[in-house]
Amino acid sequence: MNRNELQQIAVDWFEQQEWTPFAFQKQAWVAFLKGKNGLLNAPTGSGKTYALWVAIVLEYIKKNPQYSSTHKKGLKAIWITPLKALSVEIKQAAERFVEGVGVPLTVGIRTGDTDQKERAAQKRKMPDLLITTPESLHLLLASKGYDQTFKDVSAIVVDEWHELLGSKRGVQIELALSRLKTISSQLRIWGISATIGNLDQAREVLLGTGSEALNNSLLIKANINKKIKVKSIIPKKMETFPWRGHLGLHLLDEVIPIINQSKTTLLFTNTRAQCEIWFQKILEKYPEFAGEIAMHHGSINKETRVWVEHAIRNEELKAVVCTSSLDLGVDFAPVETIIQIGGPKGVARFLQRAGRSGHQPGKESVIYFLPTHAIELIEASALQKAVKNKIVEDRVPYLNSFDVLVQYLTTLAVSNGFFPEEIFPEIKSTFCFQSITREQYQWMLNFITIGAQSLQSYDEYKKVEIQADGKFKVNSRGVAMRHRLQIGTIVSDAVLTVKYMKGGYLGSIEEWFISKLKPGDVFTFAGRNLELFKVKNMQVLVRKSNQKTSKVPSWMGGRMSFSSEMSELLREEMYLANAVSGKSRELKALTHIFNKQKQESIVPGPNEFLIETFKTREGYHAVFYPFEGRFVHEALGSLLAYRISLLFPITFSIAFNDYGFELLSDQEIDMQQVLDNDLFTTEFLSSDLRKSLNATEMARRKFRDVAVISGLVFTGYPDKLLKSKHLQSSSQLIFNVFKEYEPDNLLFQQSYTETFEHQLEEGRLQLAMQRITEQNIIWKQCKKPTPFSFPIITDRLREKLSSEKLADRIRKMTMQLEK
Amino acid sequence: MRTETITYHQQTFTLHHSGALYWHEIEMLLIADVHFGKVTHFRKHGSAIPQHAIQRNFEKLDLVLSHFRPKTLCFLGDLFHSYINSEWFLFEEWVKKKSSKIILISGNHDVISPLRYEEINVLVANEWQEESVLLTHIPENRAGVFNISGHIHPGIRLQGAGKQSISVPCFFKTQHQLILPAFGAFTGKHILNPGKDDLIFAIAEEEVIRVI
Repeated sequence: MNRNELQQIAVDWFEQQEWTPFAFQKQAWVAFLKGKNGLLNAPTGSGKTYALWVAIVLEYIKKNPQYSSTHKKGLKAIWITPLKALSVEIKQAAERFVEGVGVPLTVGIRTGDTDQKERAAQKRKMPDLLITTPESLHLLLASKGYDQTFKDVSAIVVDEWHELLGSKRGVQIELALSRLKTISSQLRIWGISATIGNLDQAREVLLGTGSEALNNSLLIKANINKKIKVKSIIPKKMETFPWRGHLGLHLLDEVIPIINQSKTTLLFTNTRAQCEIWFQKILEKYPEFAGEIAMHHGSINKETRVWVEHAIRNEELKAVVCTSSLDLGVDFAPVETIIQIGGPKGVARFLQRAGRSGHQPGKESVIYFLPTHAIELIEASALQKAVKNKIVEDRVPYLNSFDVLVQYLTTLAVSNGFFPEEIFPEIKSTFCFQSITREQYQWMLNFITIGAQSLQSYDEYKKVEIQADGKFKVNSRGVAMRHRLQIGTIVSDAVLTVKYMKGGYLGSIEEWFISKLKPGDVFTFAGRNLELFKVKNMQVLVRKSNQKTSKVPSWMGGRMSFSSEMSELLREEMYLANAVSGKSRELKALTHIFNKQKQESIVPGPNEFLIETFKTREGYHAVFYPFEGRFVHEALGSLLAYRISLLFPITFSIAFNDYGFELLSDQEIDMQQVLDNDLFTTEFLSSDLRKSLNATEMARRKFRDVAVISGLVFTGYPDKLLKSKHLQSSSQLIFNVFKEYEPDNLLFQQSYTETFEHQLEEGRLQLAMQRITEQNIIWKQCKKPTPFSFPIITDRLREKLSSEKLADRIRKMTMQLEK
Repeated sequence: MRTETITYHQQTFTLHHSGALYWHEIEMLLIADVHFGKVTHFRKHGSAIPQHAIQRNFEKLDLVLSHFRPKTLCFLGDLFHSYINSEWFLFEEWVKKKSSKIILISGNHDVISPLRYEEINVLVANEWQEESVLLTHIPENRAGVFNISGHIHPGIRLQGAGKQSISVPCFFKTQHQLILPAFGAFTGKHILNPGKDDLIFAIAEEEVIRVI
């Protein structure tokens, strides 16, 4: 059958469904049949699944003309999705097509939720298409004879590649692909990505730097021009609208008419805590919504989430309060309206959320922005511009993630074993490890075989062994089992399951929240008020409570930073505040706040860098406003604190948000001295940043992931907690041991590199500081906190930096207690 | 360096920043939760903790022994983290060079047979009483005695002006108990909330400071 005849099969089927294939779908079919690799840029709900799945099936028909009568056994294609929740939808779509055209191909799912029986069955007989996650793919690489399983695979599709790209799961994909390119000779690699700023780089990362696969590839853009309308919810009375806060409940009443006007509304919140509170408060104030609104976030049990997703599709719900848990996935056609509560921090995320509504052809997507405090209206105004000008940020891929490499090499040693010389060129061909040196590779090999860089006497290190033939192999069953368990571990805080005493699983909750509660305390979870009975064996036993007031768990995470694109837009909006004309609705609404700000201080213009100092009963505050996003502020705050602390012994607590940062101390900061000493210089930036204690604190937190991924920390056997306790240790403790005894350890070093590149964004910091040195510094000594400073100084999440002796600090604190 | 000296039940104790406690009247040095063997135990299970950390415990012990020169050295439990591994032999060699009498109050981690300890002249007991002072691993409330123990790895979180807070290991004293901080280099701490009658002696690098 030639290419046209093949395509006709698909077109005919599309017509039966009363659809017309999009141009990008046809382009993808042709490219795939020509043997190309590529990246497909298409938004959720655009028919992207059919762009690639149809091509895979046509290729099978081409190779196997007797397809309807004879079936070639074995795995033919792998579909990777970042979220296991999406796998069912993909399976349904795939099955619909093969059944429609009469090709007896089977579709199977393998994720963390797949039970043991099903896995065993798959091992005996793989489905034709396997839908899986990056972790489960690595688990397959960790099973014996994986090369046989994968040898006839002709296609790998990585769905939602933009989600994986900027994460270590993306590195997992790069490494898995580097192996599969060798063992499956017919392989085509395709990625699907939403719009991000660096699509070309996304393709390079997926296919490998300078690889044959990359040379033989193309980028296909769906170019679906969808109209997006952004509307800000502006409080009727700006005077009483709060200067700080992150919940946004003041505007709850404004949301109700919006919900009533559309079929289904999704309310996106930034954290799970916020999600719980909004759900609770809507029901409290508008009980008539009972049964018509629901909640969806990552800690709620799977059944409930699936039920909510079904209910949305069946138009049974008026509104769903959710978190990023509903960012991805297939369409929910009945969704007509989106409300974003609080700043989304990124344009891409905002656009993606907007795109969740108005799926009918020709319909425009409507997204409302609900500010949680006054200054956030500037953000609303900036977002409008971003959407209009299609300014979208990059997703920054990881480089040299040695922890993932240690995990991967152990994976290969657990299954078939490997010869280092065979694997090195494959690793080197990935984007992540393009610059890895022989020495670094040898370091990794030493690390997994002798747990050090030189052999020591009396050592009992045991992990990977080198056999007589030079093959690296794990022979201990215990090591292999612990490694397999560790592959799937999602790096997060220790999570406990929440259960009713009478039985009935409610979801999971971070340990640190529960540790703050005593039995008898009431907290809100999954929309219910629950009384803590006891915590036992990683289970939180609760019963229903009728008590009205309760604690709401504030989950970690969800603290995101502005991208540089967004920061720039925000600064531009801010400068408009001083302008006479050209102000948006949002800025006009803020007039009252700007006037208040000007009473004590100024609203900075493009050439001005504002510093405010004032005293409250908490101590001496110094607030700086670079408007560069919280990550840059975090770095700049610690850098400045460090440089000041060199002038005199002092202790700071540092707070930051997307607009600026604060240095708070129990003693007054001599700001004139700060300005005279040129503390914003970019000279010695790197070394000063490394020396600031904060970098160590941040690296310590990054090390947590590194330690888990590289297998330094064992997180335990499921349901066998007591038995593995003797192997549990906090990554913090291990970090300290490395810091003291093995500071040149590459994994320890990696935690710093990640801190500087991904957390502190050293490159952006450099640019920001250059900008600041060109600005006029305006130092305002205020009598009281200004509207701009309020959201910052009331933030409880703080960093600290001190140049005082620990004993002196403790003595001061003692006095504080005695007062 | 700064130590704190306190008196209870007519007995005098000096609190050292290493976490050790010296009992003057009977010239006994008390040390809790060394967790020897932990590094090797982790390495044996594929977690590459730096081996240099092993030496640190011995160095610290030697330092504090040469400072107080006690007649008796008493370990308040969790001396060894696991079953016998190569660190045991280092311990054996170390013990042979010591002149003090050595006692081990058995802790929940101490699974190595008492016979192995007897071979190297280390006396193993479940608890130990001298005068009205009771030494145990896990804190005990017993009438009429003052209890000194370990097990908890106590730590304290302090707050100060300018929203500052720090956490450090500490000696934790309740009315009839004194809990020692963990001595071992590869151990963590457990933050406790003191009651109104409790005393806290925080460890700040080279100093012991009474905070409440």
